[in-house]
Amino acid sequence: MVSAAIGLAFLPLLLTLLIRYRYYFVLFYRAVLLRWVQDLVTGISREERVYQYVLTHAIPGDPDSILDTFDDWCTKVEFISHIGPKKGMILDRLLKEHQPLTVLELGTHCGYSAVRIARSLPLGARLYSVEMDQRNAEVAEKIVRLAGFDDDTVELIVRPSDEVIPCLRENYGVERLDFVFMDHWKRCYLPDLQMLEGSGLLGEGSVILADNVIFPGAPNFLRHIRRSGLYEHRVHRAMLEYISGIRDGMAELIYRGAK
Amino acid sequence: TNGGRTQEARTRREREARTERRGAPSTGRPPKRSQEGRERFRRAGGEQKGRERDGKRTGREERAEGAAKENKNSENERTKKLRGKEERGGGEAGKEAEEAMKKKRLSGEEAHEAVRKTSDKELKQAKEHEQEKSMKPAETTSEFEICSSGEEEEAKDVEVVLGSLSPEELEKLKEAVDDRKKLIGTLRGKPWPMSKKLVTLRESQEFVEKSEGALGKGRGRKLYAYKVTLRKKWKKFQRDFENFKTACIPWEMKIKEIESHFGSSVASYFIFLRWMYGINMILFGLTFGLVMVPEALMGRPYGSIPRKTVPRDEEASAMNFAILWDFGGYAKYSVLFYGYYNNQRTIGWLKYRMPLSYFLVGVGMAAYSYMVVIRTMARNASEDGGGDDTSFNFSWKIFTSWDYLIGNVETADNKFASITTSFKEAIVEEQESRKDDNIHLTRFLRVLANFLVLCCLAGSGYLIYFVVRRSQKFALEGLDNYGWWERNEVNMVMSLLGMFCPMLFDVISTLENYHPRIALRWQLGRIFALFLGNLYTFIIALMDQINLKRAEEEIVKFNMTIWQASLYNGTTPENSTAPPITVHPADVPRGPCWETMVGQEFVRLIISDTMTTYITLLIGDFLRAVLVRFLNYCWCWDLEYSFPSYSEFDVSGNVLGLIFNQGMIWMGAFYAPCLPALNVLRLHVSMYLQCWAVMCCDVPQERVFKASGSNNFYMAMLLVILFLSTLPAIYTVVSIPPSFDCGPFSGKSRMFDVIQETLETDFPAWFGKVFSYVSNPGLVLPFLLLMVLAIYYLNSTSKTYKQVNLELKKKLQTVNSSKNSRQNCGHISPAVQVGSSTKSSAASSSQTPPSIRPPVTQTHPTSGSLPGQPRQPSSRKQHAPSRGS
Repeated sequence: MVSAAIGLAFLPLLLTLLIRYRYYFVLFYRAVLLRWVQDLVTGISREERVYQYVLTHAIPGDPDSILDTFDDWCTKVEFISHIGPKKGMILDRLLKEHQPLTVLELGTHCGYSAVRIARSLPLGARLYSVEMDQRNAEVAEKIVRLAGFDDDTVELIVRPSDEVIPCLRENYGVERLDFVFMDHWKRCYLPDLQMLEGSGLLGEGSVILADNVIFPGAPNFLRHIRRSGLYEHRVHRAMLEYISGIRDGMAELIYRGAK
Repeated sequence: TNGGRTQEARTRREREARTERRGAPSTGRPPKRSQEGRERFRRAGGEQKGRERDGKRTGREERAEGAAKENKNSENERTKKLRGKEERGGGEAGKEAEEAMKKKRLSGEEAHEAVRKTSDKELKQAKEHEQEKSMKPAETTSEFEICSSGEEEEAKDVEVVLGSLSPEELEKLKEAVDDRKKLIGTLRGKPWPMSKKLVTLRESQEFVEKSEGALGKGRGRKLYAYKVTLRKKWKKFQRDFENFKTACIPWEMKIKEIESHFGSSVASYFIFLRWMYGINMILFGLTFGLVMVPEALMGRPYGSIPRKTVPRDEEASAMNFAILWDFGGYAKYSVLFYGYYNNQRTIGWLKYRMPLSYFLVGVGMAAYSYMVVIRTMARNASEDGGGDDTSFNFSWKIFTSWDYLIGNVETADNKFASITTSFKEAIVEEQESRKDDNIHLTRFLRVLANFLVLCCLAGSGYLIYFVVRRSQKFALEGLDNYGWWERNEVNMVMSLLGMFCPMLFDVISTLENYHPRIALRWQLGRIFALFLGNLYTFIIALMDQINLKRAEEEIVKFNMTIWQASLYNGTTPENSTAPPITVHPADVPRGPCWETMVGQEFVRLIISDTMTTYITLLIGDFLRAVLVRFLNYCWCWDLEYSFPSYSEFDVSGNVLGLIFNQGMIWMGAFYAPCLPALNVLRLHVSMYLQCWAVMCCDVPQERVFKASGSNNFYMAMLLVILFLSTLPAIYTVVSIPPSFDCGPFSGKSRMFDVIQETLETDFPAWFGKVFSYVSNPGLVLPFLLLMVLAIYYLNSTSKTYKQVNLELKKKLQTVNSSKNSRQNCGHISPAVQVGSSTKSSAASSSQTPPSIRPPVTQTHPTSGSLPGQPRQPSSRKQHAPSRGS
C-alpha cells in the first residue's frame, strides 16, 4: 500500500508540469475542448461560425477589415489555426520583396491566408489555392469573394494537394511557380515538396514558405531541406498565432536548383 | 599552359627581382658576388668542373622552381588578386625572364648576362610592386614567404657553391635568420588565417634550421648544430610531456568534449565531480589503509568475541540478499561498521593502536577536508580578480561573451542566439533603467517568487517531519508488521522531494527575470535550503533514535548482569578471572550499539540516494530521449522541438546533490568506515554514467553562459555543508558516551578519552605534563585571542588592498578618458564612451607622432615584417621596434 505522504511528494512535480506547460493546456482548452462544446451547442462547424462572425462584423470588399475580424474572432472567441497577424507580416514582406506572378497555396482552410496573399499580390498575378475539404472550401470561397477577389486573382482548387500538384501544368497551364505557401497537413509538407521538385514547376529563385515547422512541426521536412542542398533556407522564429508562449517558426526556402 | 607559363615566369622573375632588390641596394653584392666566385672557382678548378657545377646549378634551380610552384599552389587563392596585377604589370618582364631561362638552360653564363640586363627594368617594376603590396598588408606577407623561399634557395646555393661565406654575407644570413626567428616568435599574435600561419611557420622553421648550421664553422658548426638539435629535442620532449601530463589527468578529454558541446557551466559540474572524487580517494585511503585493513589483517577474527559474531536469532537470515542489501546480517558484523571493532589497545605483532588510529582517522578526515576546501577557496578567490561588471557593459559583451571552448555547431548556434538576445536585453535594460518605471513590478515579482519558494520549503519540511514522526511510530510498534513502502517511506519522500522541488523552484524563478548566472545562484541557494532542511530533519530523527537505543542499552546492561549471574549460578559473580563455562559468542546478549545503527542509516541513505539518482537519470533522461527520438516518426507534433523535447542538464541540482552527498559522507564516515569507499564507487560510476547521459540524451541549454565564477560558490556551499555536517558528528562524539559492548571505544566514558590514555601510557611523563600545561585555559585563551587578532589584521589589510586596487583602476580610467578627450577634441558621444577602454589603447597607439615610423608600418601594423625596402638600407632596424605595435 503506497502511503499518502509519498503521493504528496509528487505534488511539486504536478505543479511544475502545470506551470511549465500552461500554454499547451490553454491551447488544448481553446482548440479542442471549446470547439467541441461549441460544435455541440451551435450544431454548425467552426468554419461556419467564423464565417458568420466575419459576415456580421467586417466591411465587405475590404481585405484588411476581414483579416482584422478574423484575428478578433481567433483571439477573443475561439481558436482556429491560421498564419496569424505576426507571422503574416513576414509573409507580406516576402511577397512585397519577390513580387510573384504565380502563387500556389496549399491548405486554404477558411481563406485567411488566401486573402492575405491576394491583397499583397502585384497586378496580374494569380493565386492557386488548394483545399482538400469540401465544406472548408465553400467557406473559403465565400470569404475570398467577400474580400473582393475574383476568379482571375484567386482560384480555389478543391482536391488533395498530392493530386493537384502533378496536373498543375496540364489542367491550369502553370509553367512556373514563383511562390508556394504551405499550411496544410504537416505530414504532407515533405511529399508535396518532393513532388514540386519533381514536377519542374520550381525555377531558380522560387520561394517556398512553410508555416508551423516547429509547432506542431515538420521535422522530416526540415531535415530534407537541410540535406538536399537545393535551397537556401532560413527559419523565421516566431510565436504560435493567437496563443502566447508557444514557439513556432516559418521556413523560408529559395529554390536554387541542383548544382 | 599559357597561365602556367606566365606563372612560372612570374615566379622566376619575382625571385630574381627579389634577389636584386635584397642584394643590390643594400650591398650591391650577392648576384655579382656569386658570379665572381664562380669565375674564381672556375679559374682555380678548371672549365669542366665549372660546367658541371653550372649544370648542377640549373638543375637545382629547376627543382627550386618546382618547389616555388608548389608553394604558389598552396597560396594560390591568397595571392590571386595580387597575381592578377602582377601579370598585368609584369607580362613583358615575364617573357624576358622566360627567354632568359631558356638561354640559361643552354648555357649558364649567358643567362646570367641576360638576367643582369633585365635586372634594371625589373628593379623598377619590383619597386612598383612593392608599393602595390604595401597597400595590401595581408598579401605582403605571403609574398614575403615566396621571396624568402627564393632567398633561401639562394642562400643555400651560395653556401654550397662557395663552400665558405664572407663576413658580410654571414651578417646578412644572420639577420635573415633573426628575422625569421622573430617572425616565429610573433606568429601567434598575427591576425592571419591558421593555414597561412602554419605554412609560414613551417617554412620559417625550415629556413632557420638550414641556415643556422651554416653560421658556424667546422667543429663549431657541428657543435652548434648538435646544440640546436638537442634544444629542439628537449623542447619537443617538454611538449610531449605536457601532453602526457594532460592525458594523465583523469577524464580530462571527456570533460573537454562535454565543455565543447555544452559550454563551461556543465563542464564546471564535471570538474567539481572530479575534484570531489580526488578528495574521496584520499578519505578512502585514510579509512581503508589505517582502519579497515589493519583490523581485517591483525584484529581478532570473525566469531571470536560477541561483537564480531552474528547473534543466534539473526543467523538464519544473515546471508539473505534483502538483509545484506540493507547492510544487516553479515555486512553489519564486519569491518564496514563501527561495532565490529574491538577495544583492545594494541593489535597484532605491530602493536597497532587500533582505537587511537580510529579516532585520529576520524579527526584527520575532517581536518583534511577543511584544509582542502579552504585552500581551494583561497586559490579561486585570487583568480577572481574582483572586476566590476557595471562599467563598460557593452564592451564586455562584445569582446568577452564568446565561449571559446565551444566546439559544437548546435551549441555555437545557441550561444550566438543567446549573445544576440543578451544584447537585445541589455539595450532594453538600458532603456528601462533610464525610464525605470517597471522596477516595482520586478520587485513585486521577485518578492512573490521568494514567498512561493518559502511556502514550498515549509510544505516539504512539514511533510518530512510528518513522515519521520510516523516512521518513529512504526519503529516503536516494530517494523516487521509493515510493508516495504512504510519502512522506506522517509527515504522515498526525501528523495522525491529533493528531486521535484528544484524543478518547481526552477519554474518559479522564471518570474524573477534574473541573469542566468544570478538565477543559478538563487536556485542553488534555494535547493541548498531545501536539502539542508531535509538533512537536518533526518538528523533530528536519528538523534531521537539514538536516545531510544541508549534507553534500550540501559535495560540490556541491567539484564546482562542478571544473565551473567544466572550463567555462573550466582556462586562467584566477582571471580571473573577464569570463566569456567564457555559460552558461544553468538549466544551472548548484547546491547543495541547505536553507533552501528547510525552508520547503517547513513549507508542506506547513500545507497537509496544513489539509486534514485541513477534511476532518474535513466528514466528522466534516457527513456525520455529514446521516446522523443523514436516516437517522433509517428506523432502528430514535433516532439524534438516542442513539447517534451530532450532534457537539459541540470547543473544546480546535480552540484547540490553532490555536495549533500559529501556532507552525508562526512557525517557518517566516523561510524561506518566503509562510506568513503562506497562514495568513491558512486562517484566513479556517476562520472561515466552522467558523461554518457549528457552526451547521449541531453541538449545544450538554451542560454549557454560562462560559469567560470561559479566554482567558488560551490566551494563556499561545500564549506558550509562541511561545517554543518561535522557539527552533529562532533556533538555525538563529544557528548554521548559510547556503547558498552561494541566499537573501539567501548568501556570508556567518552570517545576522546583514547587520547588521554595514549598520552599516559605511550608517551614519556614529561610530554603529558607539557600537554597538560599547553591545554591549560590560561594558555589556550590568549592563543585564541591572538588568532582572532591576526585574522582581523589580515582581513583589514586585504580590504585596504582592495581599496587601493579600485583607486588605481579609477586613476587608469581617468587617464584614459582624458587622453581620449584630448584625442577626440571632446567629441565623445555616449556610444563611443561605451567602448572607451578599448578605444583608449588604439588611441594611444595612433597618438605617437607618425614621423618616427616608416610610412608602411604606420598604415599597416601587420606588415611590419616586410623584408625589403629598396631605397632604405637601414630600414630593417627601424622595423624592429615598430613590430611590437
